[in-house]
Amino acid sequence: MSEKPRDIIKRNLFSENQVLRGILGICSSLAVTNTMKNSLVMGLGLSFVTALSSLTLSAMRNAIPHRVRMLVQTLVIAVYVIFVDLLLQAYLPDISKQLGPYVGLIITNCIIMGRAEAYAQKNPPVPSMLDGLFAGLGYTLVLMIISLIREVLGFGSIFGMNVNLIGFETWTIMIMPPAAFFIIGGLIWWLSARAAKKAALTGE
Amino acid sequence: MKKGHVYTLVFMVVLSAALTFTLAASYEAFKPAINQNKTLQEQRAVLYALGLDEGLEDSEVTALYEETIRPGDLNGKSEIAGLPVLAQVADGQEVAYAVPFNGAALWGALRGYLGVKADLSETTGVVFTYQNETPGLGGRIDEDAYKAQFRGLAIAPGTQLRYGTQDGQTLDAVTGATQTSAAVLRTLNHLLAEEIFPGEGK
Repeated sequence: MSEKPRDIIKRNLFSENQVLRGILGICSSLAVTNTMKNSLVMGLGLSFVTALSSLTLSAMRNAIPHRVRMLVQTLVIAVYVIFVDLLLQAYLPDISKQLGPYVGLIITNCIIMGRAEAYAQKNPPVPSMLDGLFAGLGYTLVLMIISLIREVLGFGSIFGMNVNLIGFETWTIMIMPPAAFFIIGGLIWWLSARAAKKAALTGE
Repeated sequence: MKKGHVYTLVFMVVLSAALTFTLAASYEAFKPAINQNKTLQEQRAVLYALGLDEGLEDSEVTALYEETIRPGDLNGKSEIAGLPVLAQVADGQEVAYAVPFNGAALWGALRGYLGVKADLSETTGVVFTYQNETPGLGGRIDEDAYKAQFRGLAIAPGTQLRYGTQDGQTLDAVTGATQTSAAVLRTLNHLLAEEIFPGEGK
């Protein structure tokens, strides 16, 4: 095993964060991040799907004919997404109703197929699952940061609990998708600037 | 690693069959819970539209629903848009109706109930049982702050609901969801004109 679990975790959460460094999964980062609850459920749903699809695809990696591997990836991912949708409908009907079409759209999230292509097809099942899980959690982390900013400024609340104690005027723009653009842009800038500074210091 | 056509074909067929079977099996396993949630949601919605749901427990919802809600009819119609008209009964009298509607909002259909008193003088509330609006924007029509505005609005033949203040009644749209908000009123106004006060005030 070439990569230690610790490195997989660090890489996916920070240095190669899929949203901020890979610019993947941007669509849903813009769409569901106006409240923290939706972001959390979306992030966990995605983590679950990415972890299990990476595990499954990695376990089958030597049996999958190369030329149809993308068909197989889509198929496996679709199955897990529908499973999550059913699970939410059965046990968390309120959230299922709130997230509406976005649950089905987990399948279009590039992170899942990105991990399947970039990692799971070349690595053993357990590291692949870890990689998928933490790629998903890295996405969740970014979503939580964005939605924290947006929910506090846009609704004056955190997880639906009112924190607007001084009664400031909430910012309508924060509720709308453009706000996520600004925040994601800011985060990408900050992380890239940090990476560039580090690279300059080590002389790379 | 090169694999032949036959292998590829067999692999895809077997994999598809296995995965489809797994999904079908899990759907069967979840079906009772999903259907129960749907029934409960529908019952809670009807009670909400009639102003009877004040944070009831799930078991109370079913009990209250079975005790007070009966099939009703409004202007001789027992069904509107393919959904039954329901009546709230108290002491053997019909006191209010939950009138179903089925309209079009921004992203998809908009279904729900408008509660009206039996004498059609005012509304008791509105509820949406199906909507596919943007979560966090148009989807917020499902929040109490929006729906509560539709309690106790005076209605009469020819009533056209509008956002803003009119006749001392204020209705606010959802911020950032102009299209969805407009669609709600369009649907409700259509319902008022065509089903609740048909052939009047035109």
